[in-house]
Amino acid sequence: MPQMTFIEAVRSAIYDAMAEDDSVIVLGEDVALKGGVFLATSGLLEQYGPTRVIDTPIAEASIVGLAIGASLHGLRPVAEIQFADYIHPAIDQILNEAALFRYRSNGDWSCPIVVRAPFGAGIHGALYHSQSSEALFTSTPGLKVVIPATPYDAKGLLVAAIRDPDPVIFFEHKQLYRSQKGEVPEGVYTVPIGRAAVTREGSGLSLFTYGLMVHHSLSAASTVAAEGIQVEVIDLRTLYPLDSNAILDSVKKTGKALIVHEDNLTGGIGGEISAIIGEQAFEYLDGPIRRLASPDVPPVAFNDDLEARYMLNPDKIAAAIRELAAY
Amino acid sequence: MMAAARPRHEQLALSPEQLGQALRGMMLAREVDDRLWLLARQGKVHFVITSAGHEATQFGCAWAINVGRDYVVPYYRDMALAMAMGQTALDMMLHAMGKADDPASGGRQMFGHFSSRRLRLVSGSSSVGSHPIHAVGLALAFTIRGETDVAAITFFGEGATAEGAWHEAMNFAGIHQLPVVFVCENNQYAISVHQSNEIPVKDVAAKAEGYGMPGVIVDGNDIFAVYEAARDAMNRARSGGGPTLLECKTYRLRPHSNADDDLKYRSAEEVESWRQHDPIKRLAEYLVTNSLFSEAEMAGYQAAAREEVDRAMRDAERAPGPPANSLYDHLYG
Repeated sequence: MPQMTFIEAVRSAIYDAMAEDDSVIVLGEDVALKGGVFLATSGLLEQYGPTRVIDTPIAEASIVGLAIGASLHGLRPVAEIQFADYIHPAIDQILNEAALFRYRSNGDWSCPIVVRAPFGAGIHGALYHSQSSEALFTSTPGLKVVIPATPYDAKGLLVAAIRDPDPVIFFEHKQLYRSQKGEVPEGVYTVPIGRAAVTREGSGLSLFTYGLMVHHSLSAASTVAAEGIQVEVIDLRTLYPLDSNAILDSVKKTGKALIVHEDNLTGGIGGEISAIIGEQAFEYLDGPIRRLASPDVPPVAFNDDLEARYMLNPDKIAAAIRELAAY
Repeated sequence: MMAAARPRHEQLALSPEQLGQALRGMMLAREVDDRLWLLARQGKVHFVITSAGHEATQFGCAWAINVGRDYVVPYYRDMALAMAMGQTALDMMLHAMGKADDPASGGRQMFGHFSSRRLRLVSGSSSVGSHPIHAVGLALAFTIRGETDVAAITFFGEGATAEGAWHEAMNFAGIHQLPVVFVCENNQYAISVHQSNEIPVKDVAAKAEGYGMPGVIVDGNDIFAVYEAARDAMNRARSGGGPTLLECKTYRLRPHSNADDDLKYRSAEEVESWRQHDPIKRLAEYLVTNSLFSEAEMAGYQAAAREEVDRAMRDAERAPGPPANSLYDHLYG
């Protein structure tokens, strides 16, 4: 099985999905000639031509709006927003239009689009190339929000998103693009949307996370294992709808829950997970539900020291694990 | 002595039957509109948004639409358009009353969100100006698929042309010269805000030049002028000639909705002066002048429209609403 970086897996998913189904198109700013600023769509123009790989103006509402319109006539558009930080002009199209097409027409219409957006900090991107934007979309019925952590999941979930009959927001952590490498099958396969994965089994404490923080959490889990703390790491993979069963199964086993996310603390998905656990597994808990998240300041200041202070890392996560384990 | 000019409908190859059908349709649409206002006052419908005054624009454009093949992306003012495409008085009553058989949404959307996939009449939100980009996306899909002899047509008020998403739609359509027609139903008011505070130019059509497409202005209360311009624009789009911005100058004869008091921002005299240009009256007069119909036939149409609306209203009132547990249906496919 070939080894691929995360970005190669993303590219492979789109490439294979376009080969499998000629209704799949790609559109966005810089996606064609340049192949994307991160090269996620590199080579697609050469393979599939300019009718299916389309450079758009730098106008995010139209990138998503065009995708919506094209989907109504049976196409499967994969739209790219160059950085999640710039998804805001498209929010009306995503929340009011794409998410509601099926519901508001009582099932007469549907809107099978994928909106891909690189997100996350730690690449010296400062305030407008570092944001975690997922919380903007995790309270909208009709949408699905997917955030993979591994090359294998990136390809399988992206193929699933493209085949999905409904709109999917697909966030890719920029720091994973070239840092993560793993086995990825050739050809199309899917990883189911809406299912979390137990990435490391453990009995002492459940750690719920996603994206780049999966890797930092696994690293922290290895560190504390040497100290006798067995952490179960759950990669959520889909943030909306959440896999409540996987969350509850794990916390019922371990009795302790730590939620780790790079998104700001307030309003992040950690609050929702805490509520699910508090409401449905209260009697299984033998410690407080804890959240470890980025501080409630904008992500992220440009200065290296300030960025490091902002970012979560394996040491900070290990410290939070030790504190909760000792409760 | 010079020969008299041929009547306009003959110049446009419109048959007397088509004219009669349009007049009946416009009268029926107005009758539905009037009845909805009455029902709103009685508390029997929660919301009405009017198309009164816009009928010639909407029926004139409908003549240029190949219904079921061309895609139509409407806005909330387009009840008469939906009826011109084949939706019925009963459909409108079911929609207004939020009943299970409301063809637009099964009782989910408030009145004014006309939709039918069978007719290729596209579902919309209430966000002003967010939908023309969907027509452009559809037009893009036709070109990707190599489909010709098909176009998308989208409708909006002049207020929508201040929105960013409207600009983005025009911009992309112009860049790629896509098969799409933009119809601005310019009635001079975005609820209360007059055109002079909405757009910096006298004619919306003037904006077209900046988007690389022709801008055409017609009297939106003249069904023949509308049809001629819409037909040309749709044919141009279908044959690879690119997009058009068609501005139909018209006037809404009712307040924006039943939640609006229009006398706060326009005078009764102004409204009355536009009543003199009522598009239905104008078409009726044309037909009588050209001896195509008699006054007596007109009266018959009016009575028939009233009866049909009576029946539609009764049937809709008796029709069941959606079951409570359907709240969760069609969230995902």
